[in-house]
Amino acid sequence: MTTAEVARYGAPIERDEPVVVIIGSGAGGGTLAYELTRQGATCVVLEAGPYLTADDYVNDEWEAFGQMAWLDMRTTSGSWRVARDFPNLPAWVVKAVGGSTTHWSGATPRFMAHEFTARTTYGQVDGASLLDWPITLEELAPYYDRAEQAMGSTHRHGRPALPANNNYTVLANGAEKIGYRYYATGPYATNATPYDGRPASIQDGFNFQGDKSGAKWSTLVREIPRALETGHLDLRPDCQAVRITTDAAGKVDAVEYLDAAGALQRQAARVVCVAGNSIETPRLLLMSASGQHPDGLANSSGQVGRNYMRHLTGSAYARFERPVRMHRGETMAGIVADEARHDTSRGFAGGFYLETLSLGPAFLASFLEPGGWGREFTTWMDSYDHIAGMWIVGEDMPQPGNRITLNTDVQDQHGLPVPNVHFDDHPNDVAMRSYAYDAADQLYGAVGALAVHHTPPYPSTHNLGTCRMSADPADGVVDRWGRAHDVPNLFVSDGSVMTTGAAANPTLTIVALAIRQAEHLLAEMRQGTL
Amino acid sequence: MTQDAVRQQSDPQRAEQEPTDLQVDTSAHTDETPGGGAQLADSGRTRRLLVRLLQVAYPHERFPAGPYERTAAAIVDAARADAADGRAITRGLAGLDRAAGGDFLALDDAAAETLLRDRADEYFFRRIRSTAVVALYDSADVWELLGYEGPSFDRGGYLHRGFDDLDWLPGARVDEYAGEPRVELVESEEAAR
Repeated sequence: MTTAEVARYGAPIERDEPVVVIIGSGAGGGTLAYELTRQGATCVVLEAGPYLTADDYVNDEWEAFGQMAWLDMRTTSGSWRVARDFPNLPAWVVKAVGGSTTHWSGATPRFMAHEFTARTTYGQVDGASLLDWPITLEELAPYYDRAEQAMGSTHRHGRPALPANNNYTVLANGAEKIGYRYYATGPYATNATPYDGRPASIQDGFNFQGDKSGAKWSTLVREIPRALETGHLDLRPDCQAVRITTDAAGKVDAVEYLDAAGALQRQAARVVCVAGNSIETPRLLLMSASGQHPDGLANSSGQVGRNYMRHLTGSAYARFERPVRMHRGETMAGIVADEARHDTSRGFAGGFYLETLSLGPAFLASFLEPGGWGREFTTWMDSYDHIAGMWIVGEDMPQPGNRITLNTDVQDQHGLPVPNVHFDDHPNDVAMRSYAYDAADQLYGAVGALAVHHTPPYPSTHNLGTCRMSADPADGVVDRWGRAHDVPNLFVSDGSVMTTGAAANPTLTIVALAIRQAEHLLAEMRQGTL
Repeated sequence: MTQDAVRQQSDPQRAEQEPTDLQVDTSAHTDETPGGGAQLADSGRTRRLLVRLLQVAYPHERFPAGPYERTAAAIVDAARADAADGRAITRGLAGLDRAAGGDFLALDDAAAETLLRDRADEYFFRRIRSTAVVALYDSADVWELLGYEGPSFDRGGYLHRGFDDLDWLPGARVDEYAGEPRVELVESEEAAR
């Protein structure tokens, strides 16, 4: 390997050397790789996607989508509208080094204390498989601090707020007028002023397209390069994990993957950490079925793939007499938290946030009202520069039937069964969304909206819960550290572990959990128990 | 899985999604769509029918003919790339002509829209919309007409180009509320069951 290659991909590690193998390089996998390698643990990261960096990114919605999005074939079922509107695109996530942190917007609210005890707090909700987390906010709080500092969250630890862009000015004025108080331009993991070697935002928009400036935190700009600098990371892009194997004692011993040339390789493993996002992670465990694990690896509970959550995920767009130009500036630097409370007098359990959102005309046309056409539709498009937008993110109910399974009737480009994503809205989700749309009508109405459009949930950006954390091995897939109940050296390190979804954007919590898990792994490895 | 099995299977069918395919299910695409029929002929008549259909489906007084012609071409390309889609669109356009008494182009806007409304859920029209909604609006000519400014990074973002130039509302507080802390949990009798 040349020096340049070592700088880019790290120090090569022999394939027969049993190391920590991390599958995925996003919020969970990228963070874990850095936290482990900086303490001297040797890691291989298998990333299914290419190694794109700032120069590769393009300020063009569909071109960037084609470059970054996970576009391998997937199928859908269930009564959710995505199954009709985007039948082969259940989720909008990234397949590239840095994972979905390269296209996330950057909102970093913490989960609330009661959200870790959803079953106890919300009580029995018919049809929902609510469960309390085996950890508390108090336990996670120090890791939230570290995550916020790593990510440079605005409004936290002395970091200044981002200024108000046009879309925020509409949102905040409307919020104030209808009596909301808990609005601000963050917390948001994009620099308002230079921080951690990265520049301040130039308000260029295009958060979903990779961020060419580097002002936004991602594992691509922070954790991955720092892990490479330690000399303990071997980063392997374009490597699709296809199976995790186990030894006679029932421990995982290797990961089989297809390299960039399509050849099957095998990396020996001391520990395997799966962080492929909540569709690929259970898919890999299910594809790793064996004599010892006939229903899939770590699936004696039957819970692998179940309780898939995707957050409330509606949006509202309002058009005004005068220009807004929502496309100018940070995409989601505006958060209203007043409705995030749990308050059953509103007719549902859990809460939601309202956050600024802007799409360019190319995406707005596809997502405003999927399949939409005619004068009503084009009136919205004609109003493009007079539109303000918000995203609604809230807790959805876990349901056992909302799940990822292997669809053996359809194969991907590698000949592997594609994941099928089944989802039905829970009545609680429907009630919350309806209430939230009404809140959006009032908010925008208070500042003179001519009309408000309720955009249905589109392909999921928040994919959660398919390998959930549980105190009782019968109820979930992993324990309080993310360790598989069934397999002592197998860990899940992404949003799949979330016992319930909470209302907040999940990335901060995924990072905090990964920092905490790394500490646990290091302690166990030092003690010789891993 | 053995190495051979993987190699054998790595002959891709449709491996990935194109943005113009997103609103139709391509997971089991074959040429076996029932109904059969002829492929879409790339004739002047086909183009005129498609342009007319698009102008009725996506009416924008500010748009010249160019964006619609470009979009019609994208639909023809998509139809030629998939035989079943080509046949479906051919049948769909012929059906519009028939329903119009011979010539869809002769209908006024309202009558043409009514025929499309009646066919809103038919595959040929859904397929056309899936392509059109991307092709029509993913282009700089249309962006300019709609007031969208396109790529921004190379121009220094909007930091000095109006990211905060909205002047018809007062400036808003950007810091978090400094008063009493937010209530996160409203206890109710019901919840404590």
